[in-house]
Amino acid sequence: MTTHPILTHERRALLEDRIQVGLLGLFALICLFASIRGAGNYEALEDAATAFEAEHLEQAFDWRERVVAIESGEVAPEDDPWAGLAMDVAMPAVLAPGPLADFSPGVTDVHPFTSRVSLWRSVDRLFGNYQFQSPNEIRAGRIDLAFAVLFVMPLLMIALTFGALSRDRDSGRLGLLLSHPVSVRELVRSKLLVRLGAVFAILVAALLAGLFIGAGGIPDGERLGRFGLWSLASSGYFAFWAGALYWFVSFNRKSETTALMMIGFWVLNGLVGPAVLAAAAQLIYPAPSQLAFLSTAREVSNEAYRSRADVMQGMLLDHPELTVENYTIPEYIRVSYLVNETVDRAVQPVLEEFEAVQDRRQSFLSLVQYAAPAALAMRSLNEISGTDLARQVRFEREVRNYKGAIARHVEARVLAGERLTLAEVDAVPRYSFRERDLGAVGRSVLFPVGYLFGLGMVAATLARRNLARLQTRFREA
Amino acid sequence: MIRAIARKEFVQYWRDGRVVTVFAIVALLGLAATVTGWSAVSAMERERASAVAMDREIWDTQGLKNPHSAAHFSRYAFQPTFNLAVFDPGLTDYVGNAIWLEAHYRDPAALRPIEEAVEIQRIAPLNPAWVIQIFGPLLIFVLLYGAVAGERESGTLRQLLAAGVRPVSLLLGKAISAFGLTGLLVCGVLLGSAFLMSAEGIERLPDTGPRAVGLAALYLVYLTVFVFLALGVSAFSARSRTALVGLMGIWIAATILGPRIGPEVAGALAPAPSAPEFAARLEQEGADPFWGAGEEAVQRREQVMDDALAEYGVETVEALPINYDGYLLQASEEFANGVFDTMYGELWGSYERQRAIARVFALISPTIAAQNVSMALAGTDIHAHRHFADEAEEFRREFVLLLNQEMIDHGGAEGYAYVSGNDFWRQNPDFDYAAPGIGDAVRGVWSDVIILLLWLATAIAVAAAGVRRGFLREMAA
Repeated sequence: MTTHPILTHERRALLEDRIQVGLLGLFALICLFASIRGAGNYEALEDAATAFEAEHLEQAFDWRERVVAIESGEVAPEDDPWAGLAMDVAMPAVLAPGPLADFSPGVTDVHPFTSRVSLWRSVDRLFGNYQFQSPNEIRAGRIDLAFAVLFVMPLLMIALTFGALSRDRDSGRLGLLLSHPVSVRELVRSKLLVRLGAVFAILVAALLAGLFIGAGGIPDGERLGRFGLWSLASSGYFAFWAGALYWFVSFNRKSETTALMMIGFWVLNGLVGPAVLAAAAQLIYPAPSQLAFLSTAREVSNEAYRSRADVMQGMLLDHPELTVENYTIPEYIRVSYLVNETVDRAVQPVLEEFEAVQDRRQSFLSLVQYAAPAALAMRSLNEISGTDLARQVRFEREVRNYKGAIARHVEARVLAGERLTLAEVDAVPRYSFRERDLGAVGRSVLFPVGYLFGLGMVAATLARRNLARLQTRFREA
Repeated sequence: MIRAIARKEFVQYWRDGRVVTVFAIVALLGLAATVTGWSAVSAMERERASAVAMDREIWDTQGLKNPHSAAHFSRYAFQPTFNLAVFDPGLTDYVGNAIWLEAHYRDPAALRPIEEAVEIQRIAPLNPAWVIQIFGPLLIFVLLYGAVAGERESGTLRQLLAAGVRPVSLLLGKAISAFGLTGLLVCGVLLGSAFLMSAEGIERLPDTGPRAVGLAALYLVYLTVFVFLALGVSAFSARSRTALVGLMGIWIAATILGPRIGPEVAGALAPAPSAPEFAARLEQEGADPFWGAGEEAVQRREQVMDDALAEYGVETVEALPINYDGYLLQASEEFANGVFDTMYGELWGSYERQRAIARVFALISPTIAAQNVSMALAGTDIHAHRHFADEAEEFRREFVLLLNQEMIDHGGAEGYAYVSGNDFWRQNPDFDYAAPGIGDAVRGVWSDVIILLLWLATAIAVAAAGVRRGFLREMAA
């Protein structure tokens, strides 16, 4: 007997089994819902970011127009003493949603993605007032394609495969089947090929649907590239599970024992592993206290304000060229600038420590993630999607540096109490976030994704060996 | 007879390596979760105590400053993490624990611990309540899937019938044995949490005793629901394999998918406002209609001036016996407070609508109802956070009034140049938060309690009907 008739039989059996077809349909529905919700959330994020940027650029443009009016003589300087006030430079900094944020939203729902960068704000306040999302919603997590792939897909694979061999064993048909010229390996492989093939086909269809639904039409090159990597990573996770399930099936235990082993593995991989790894990372590398950071910033601000005369004196000693006698701008503006600058400098080490802790945690997780493939796959999918924590940390650091760049550009004018010229206004730096290039992301996830494929292959090899032994036992019997 | 059945089941569990393995894993997880929970809560409380002391010190030593400038610098309200959060942290990680009490603006709670957490923590948060909610039912299902179906398959059900065992005895014997083992685990986690939460430095939640009793009763009911569901499914299933598959489906739907799908659908049907948009509206609507250049704002300020002149019976602002700047600032506060009440009312309202929609899913997932009640009893749900936020807001208003009043009463003609000193700051009160009692905490979750009781009644009815049917079939056979 060749494999072909078995495949045909299995295909027919699968299509006639209402429960299995229903489960496949349910998975397809969950994927579709995830794609539509993901696209909706992506659009909302993109709209919010675009609207924020447009509004603040418009304000910046209006502000620039006042400088134009002064320089063109349209308005007398004394009629608009605040026009071009260097301290008032304010620019938006926006983090657009990652290229595949609709597939895997990662940390986008809890972190700030917009900032109004202004010299009136010290760096600890650059991302104020964004914590309005529903805490219940954040806690529950999302139904996105990553969730469907990481958690729902393996459950479906378990439901379709746990009885692949054991049902025949339980019913006593296995011996009869193997009395035909067919090997147990071919039998199991054919069954898994048909059942898991159906899951994979839905996965591919769901990813393609997600690609087009999220893009709202034809996707651009960046999105296509990321999609290729995402598909590869999710295929790796599929291969890992396919291999693992093949291995469990090959033990040839009772149906319920096989199902229990598979569910137990799902729980260990998907729940216990990530929970333990996350707790370990945070226990071994505790973050500095956020409250202590807040207190430090306030204490420094208070101290700088109290000793503002000394701060001013220090500034004038450092910059004697700025000793202008006829200030027209109130002193509190320069004081605010210097106080904020003092705070920025004082909290810098704490912010660096926050980043260092995150780096250490990420390095730790990069090593131990291999113990929990669900955690590994999630981190890879987030990285490919552009929704990982490292990207967020980079954005926040860049915005702080951006504030520093603006400060350096206008500092002399702030301290001298002079307005900016139009040329200086136009030369105020702009912020734009640069995504990591596709090659770098690909190189970063190559090994973890390869590991998933490798695990799947190792498990499949072990399964083949088990089944060969089983075949021998049957022959001997 | 009931005792004999229960004893036999216990012996069987003990001999079953699968049960011992699952029990050991869950017990270890419970232990790790309890220690992790205690470590997190005690660290948060240590940091909060230090931040509270620092905030007071900074306030008291700010030196000479205009009271309204001080109102801008203002103080912080720090949310305590109470003892029962060791057991069920609920939303603790997803809501901020510090609210800035600045003038002119109602800030959201900032510094959410989830922002510092590693990404994979979102998959599975390791805490004692989560371990019981997710793994308690799994353990019960593993123990009971063959409770009736297995007896039938092996032919022992007929023997039991012949021995005169009544259905109710079988039902209770099996239920007691499974509940005993799971209860042992739950009691261990509860007692461990109780021991650790009484450690020094962790603040006690009002009515901790009744709340703890409530939690014990809640989990008793919750696990009993799953015990009878398992017995019912096992009794109605022809084979233990079918029972296992059915129960695994219920477990996945109830504990993994339900708690995620409910809030997701709720978020789609009743979306919370976009964070940047809400923050911008809050800032604009609280300030522009009062301080803006529009006609409405000008009229509003003129009305305030007219009111002040009428109140003090004078003709001009200069003739007022008070500082008019302070008076105007306080009027703007009172105007903005109305706006904040409306807007935060909308925000809390959207959270409430989402909760109400998500609650519908408790009809297919008792875990949702149990989570709601558990968080409410532990003082870590959205109501507890709202209570804190509202109390902090009330204090903010009184505090800003106190500072504005100082300027109104003593500022005289100096206006913004008027300064107060440390003697005044030291007299200012602290925000002293008192959490609500158990009556207030459970007011919002009565419907969840009713849903859980409905689940209990249904599960008992299903189990009783199933076992009776099983006996009748055996008798007929």
